[in-house]
Amino acid sequence: MTTLIAGDDVYAIAEELFTAMVDGESGTVSQWFGDVPAWQVPVVAWVDLHGGWAGRASVTTERATADDLARALLQMGADEPVLEEDLHDAFGEVANVVGGNVKALLPTQGTLGLPQVADHDPGLPGSVLVTEVVLDWRGRPLVLRVRGAA
Amino acid sequence: MTISHDTFTFVADLVRRRSAILLEPGKEYLVESRLLPLAREAGASGVDQFVAQLRANPSPARTAVVVEALTTNETSWFRDVAPFDALRRHIVPELRAGGLGRLRVWSAACSTGQEAYSIAMTLQEVLVPTVAVEITATDLNEQVLERARSGTYTQLEVNRGLPAPTLVRHFQRHGSGWQVSDELRRWITFRQHNLLDVPPPGGPFDVVFLRNVLIYFDLPTKRAVLERVRAALRPGGYLVLGAAETTIGVHDDYERVVLDRATVYRSAGGRAAAAAPAAAPTTAATATAASLAAARSTLAGVPARPASAAVPPRPVLPTPARPAGSVFAPTSTRGAGLT
Amino acid sequence: MRALVIDDSRAMRRIVGQTLRGLGFEPVEAEHGQHALDLLAGDEPVPALACIDWNMPVMDGLTFVTRVRQNPQWRDMTLMMVTTESEHGQIVRALAAGAHEYLIKPFTTDAIRDKLELLGLVPVGESA
Repeated sequence: MTTLIAGDDVYAIAEELFTAMVDGESGTVSQWFGDVPAWQVPVVAWVDLHGGWAGRASVTTERATADDLARALLQMGADEPVLEEDLHDAFGEVANVVGGNVKALLPTQGTLGLPQVADHDPGLPGSVLVTEVVLDWRGRPLVLRVRGAA
Repeated sequence: MTISHDTFTFVADLVRRRSAILLEPGKEYLVESRLLPLAREAGASGVDQFVAQLRANPSPARTAVVVEALTTNETSWFRDVAPFDALRRHIVPELRAGGLGRLRVWSAACSTGQEAYSIAMTLQEVLVPTVAVEITATDLNEQVLERARSGTYTQLEVNRGLPAPTLVRHFQRHGSGWQVSDELRRWITFRQHNLLDVPPPGGPFDVVFLRNVLIYFDLPTKRAVLERVRAALRPGGYLVLGAAETTIGVHDDYERVVLDRATVYRSAGGRAAAAAPAAAPTTAATATAASLAAARSTLAGVPARPASAAVPPRPVLPTPARPAGSVFAPTSTRGAGLT
Repeated sequence: MRALVIDDSRAMRRIVGQTLRGLGFEPVEAEHGQHALDLLAGDEPVPALACIDWNMPVMDGLTFVTRVRQNPQWRDMTLMMVTTESEHGQIVRALAAGAHEYLIKPFTTDAIRDKLELLGLVPVGESA
């Protein structure tokens, strides 16, 4: 079951998202090497997958990194303040795009929940970690996780 | 952020010498956007520093990667619909009216294969199964040919100019991307080929697609390529060029034909099988191209330019071959066509 | 030409809307399918195009497409799904329900232009 969703595929999905919608050019993300530093002010966005294969796709990063992502997606200036609703909207959409494409890797047709955003990862009781990919975007880490309901 | 004049001049000269492609002033943005990912990968602070490192410490492998980054064409599917409409509505019906039992098409400088597969999809829609279709697709770069043969494309690539009904008809999901059906892949033979060499096997062709390639060449090279293509077309066969390209004023043995919104070129045939001598290695082909060009210029009453000045040392297209035998660190080709 | 942009994400509405504006459309935003139907029921002329997300609160995009197709008054409106739903079967489903085109997220703004060229809604231009 765990081989259904390969880390390479999740990485490819994220790379395309950054190329097409965040930076407008390829090569702006890479694999993160080494340990991920402890989060200072984390923020996590996720979508739940329902159906024959149920689980969750999530993205976790520092609030400052998520703010920059929101600025890029909302085409805001580098110093413009990011409102809470902007952050939820834009960072949630990142999780939505990742989750939808992860769902397409599955052999059975399922459905996708709406994106959720919180300041900590609420966990998914009874789930197992299927894939974890750590991206390096502008020298800062983003952790992508796919969990499957056991 | 822009690159320095010095960096641009160096890169433009390198690309011209290695690929015959001219990067004129004003293309600084192109150099910067194509090289920035390579600079980042190499840990350089920017394109200027990356190029400075390359100059200080040249290596064939890194040079080839730079040239390739600047000469890879963007390829899309049916975004420019006119040539495929012309194929569907005019060329195929005309050939069928002539009692056609087999259709041979050459997709020249095919890059990662989108054009060849688009031709195959178009023909599958309009042809009855009794007509045999043989598509030959060529490029100089073995690396892009490998991708073309696999028929696998990223999500971003299938988003570019491929109608959704066509996508679901001919493709299946393949990991995070998509793959063309086995049936269409069987229609196409991908081969390595230099446009200045004798045409690839698989001809004579009823239709040749050679789009957005001639724009990169000077006049004598254009002429030499058009001569090679003419020899590969059956008399009366069609040449499809890019929208900004023409045979007019370059080669006289083509007749311009307007088919709705598309302009195509019909081989006048007849004239001279005398043209291209058989199998010549690249250097000889260049010489042939030069003398052909000179001969035609003279015929047209235009003084011939000296061959050495007229034809670049080793015209290759659309992407230069990597030097044989060198070892490359695997570099991602993902996104190479996304500009 | 007016174009409906239906997506629950404001970021996405902004990206699609700005691209459409650059292509000569006047974008009108809706947060979900019902919101879009309400806008359509108003006095304004029927938009030439609707770009429709799939997963949204209140009314999803597939339901919106089905509802639009039931009303002959809206038959000239071109419907393009713009969604992260990307299974082969989902695209088939949306086309069968009456969508004309399908753009998968993530996309480049050039991809929107390509699709609209295929649909004949913007003139075919030279490649960048």
